[in-house]
Amino acid sequence: MADILFIGLSLGSILLLIALGLSIIYGTMGVINMAHGELAMIGAYTAVLAGKYLGIGLIGSIPLGFLVAAVLGLVIERLVIRRLYRRIMDTLLATWGIAILLQQAIRLQFGLSFFGINIDGLGPGLQSVSVPAFLRDPVRLGDFVLQPYRSFIIVMTLILTGVTWLLLYRSAWGIQIRAIMRNPEMAAACGIDVRRVGALIFAFGSGLAGVAGVLLAGLKTVSPDMGASLVVDGFLVVVVGGVGSLVGTLISAGLLGQISGIFASVFNDIAARAVVLAVVIAVIMWRPSGLFNFKGR
Amino acid sequence: MLALDDLDSFYGRSQILHGVGLHVAQGQLHAIVGRNGAGKSTLLRSIMKLTDRVTGGQLLEGRSLGADSYLRARAGLGYVPQGRQIFPDFTIRENILVGGFAARSGKRRIPDIVAELFPYLIQNLDRLGGVLSGGQQQQLAIARALAMEPDVLLLDEPTEGIQPNIVEQIEGAITRLNRELGLTVVLVEQNIRFVRAAADHFTMLENGRSVASGPIGGLTDDLITKHMTV
Repeated sequence: MADILFIGLSLGSILLLIALGLSIIYGTMGVINMAHGELAMIGAYTAVLAGKYLGIGLIGSIPLGFLVAAVLGLVIERLVIRRLYRRIMDTLLATWGIAILLQQAIRLQFGLSFFGINIDGLGPGLQSVSVPAFLRDPVRLGDFVLQPYRSFIIVMTLILTGVTWLLLYRSAWGIQIRAIMRNPEMAAACGIDVRRVGALIFAFGSGLAGVAGVLLAGLKTVSPDMGASLVVDGFLVVVVGGVGSLVGTLISAGLLGQISGIFASVFNDIAARAVVLAVVIAVIMWRPSGLFNFKGR
Repeated sequence: MLALDDLDSFYGRSQILHGVGLHVAQGQLHAIVGRNGAGKSTLLRSIMKLTDRVTGGQLLEGRSLGADSYLRARAGLGYVPQGRQIFPDFTIRENILVGGFAARSGKRRIPDIVAELFPYLIQNLDRLGGVLSGGQQQQLAIARALAMEPDVLLLDEPTEGIQPNIVEQIEGAITRLNRELGLTVVLVEQNIRFVRAAADHFTMLENGRSVASGPIGGLTDDLITKHMTV
C-alpha cells in the first residue's frame, strides 16, 4: 500500500507543478492557457535536445527547461495574450491554437522537415531521457521499495512549491500578484502595473510547466502530444483547489494524485480517471469556487 | 491643480458623462453631489481611468494624467472607491502597503498620519481585512490611499452604509487631512450636512452633466430641491 501511495505522491507532484502555473496565470490574468501542457512538452524536448546536443543530463536540464518554457511563455504573452486581455473565450481559443501550433512545430521539426532538414530528437517519433545512475536503482526499505527518481520528483516539487510560496507571500512581487488576483482594477488604481506583472507571472508559470516536462521526461516517453492531457489534469486540480490558492492547489494535487494512483493500481487507469472526474464533479457541486477560496465580509 | 475639461466617459457604447468640467485647486475640498445615477462615481472612476473610454482634457499640475490607472495612481491620485474594495484576505498591513506601489518616494510604508487618524488599524496590523466591520474597512481603504502619497485624494461616498460613530471619525479624518495637512480632496457624498461643513467648492451632476458648480455657499436649498430630490 505504501508503494501505491508513493506513486500517487509522485504523480500528484507533476500535477502540482502543472497546476501551480495554471492557477497563478488564471488567477492573475484570467487566461485559461490551453497551451500550458505544450509548454511542459517543450520542457521535455529541451531535456531531450540538451542531452543529445549539449551533453547536459536530466538534472542540468531542469533550469534550462524552466528558462526555455519561460521565454516562450513571455513571447506568447507579448504576441498574443496581451492583445486579447480580458477576453476569456478569445484567449482560450488562441492558446488552444498555440497548443496545436507547438505540437505540429515539434512534429515537423519547426517546419524544417519540409526542406528535408531533420533534427535528431524532434519529429513524430518517441524520445526518452535517461535518468542519472544514482536515481535509477530502487532502494528496499523493509517491505517498502523506494524509487529514487520518484523521490527526486517529489523533492523538486517541494522546492519549487516553496519558491512559489516565497514569491507569492514574502516578496513585493507576491503582494502585487495576489492583489491582481483578488481585484485587478483596484490593484491598478493602487499603482500596480497589471500587464507587466501579468507578463512576468505568465513567464514564471510557463517555466514551472517546463520543469514539470523535464521531470516527466525521465518518467515517460516524450512525444509531441504529451502535453494535451496534462493541461486537463492541471485544470482539474485548479478547479478543486480554488483559483489562486497555493494551499488549495497543493492539497488538491495530492488528493487527485492519490486517488489516481490508488484506483489505477487496484483497478485500472480508466477506472481511476472516472473516479477522479466523479470527485471533481462532487467537489464543484459542493463548493463551486473550490476547496480553498477566501471570502471576507 | 486637477483640471478636467469637456470630459466624456463611456462604458462600452453607453456614454455616461457628457462634457463635464472640474477644476480643483491645490488644498481644496471639492464635493461632487447629485442624485443616484447622476454620474458621480463614474466621474471619479473616469479620473482614475477605470471606465472603458475617457476623452477630454485631464491634467494634474499641468501634466497630462497617464493612459493607465496605475500611471494615474503614480502621478499622485489616491482613490478610495465606493464599497471600499479592500483586499479581504490580506492583512491590514498588506492592505495599506499595497498603496505604496504608487508612492513617488519609492518607499512602501505605513504613513505616520494613519496611526493618528485610525489607531485601531495600527494596533491590529496582522488581522485580515475581510473580518473588519464596514467602518473599519473604510478606514483601511483611506489608509491605503494615504500610503500612495497622493496629491489629490478621491473619495467615493466614504460614509455610505457605516454606523454613525464611525461616520463621525471618518468625517473628522477627511476634514483633518484637508485642513491641517493641506491635502486636496475630491469627495463624492450624499450627506449634504457634511458637504456643507467640510467642502469649500462643489460640482452638481445630473444625468452625466455638470449643472452647477462654485463655492460651497452656492449649494443652496433651492438647488438641492431642484436637482437632488427624487
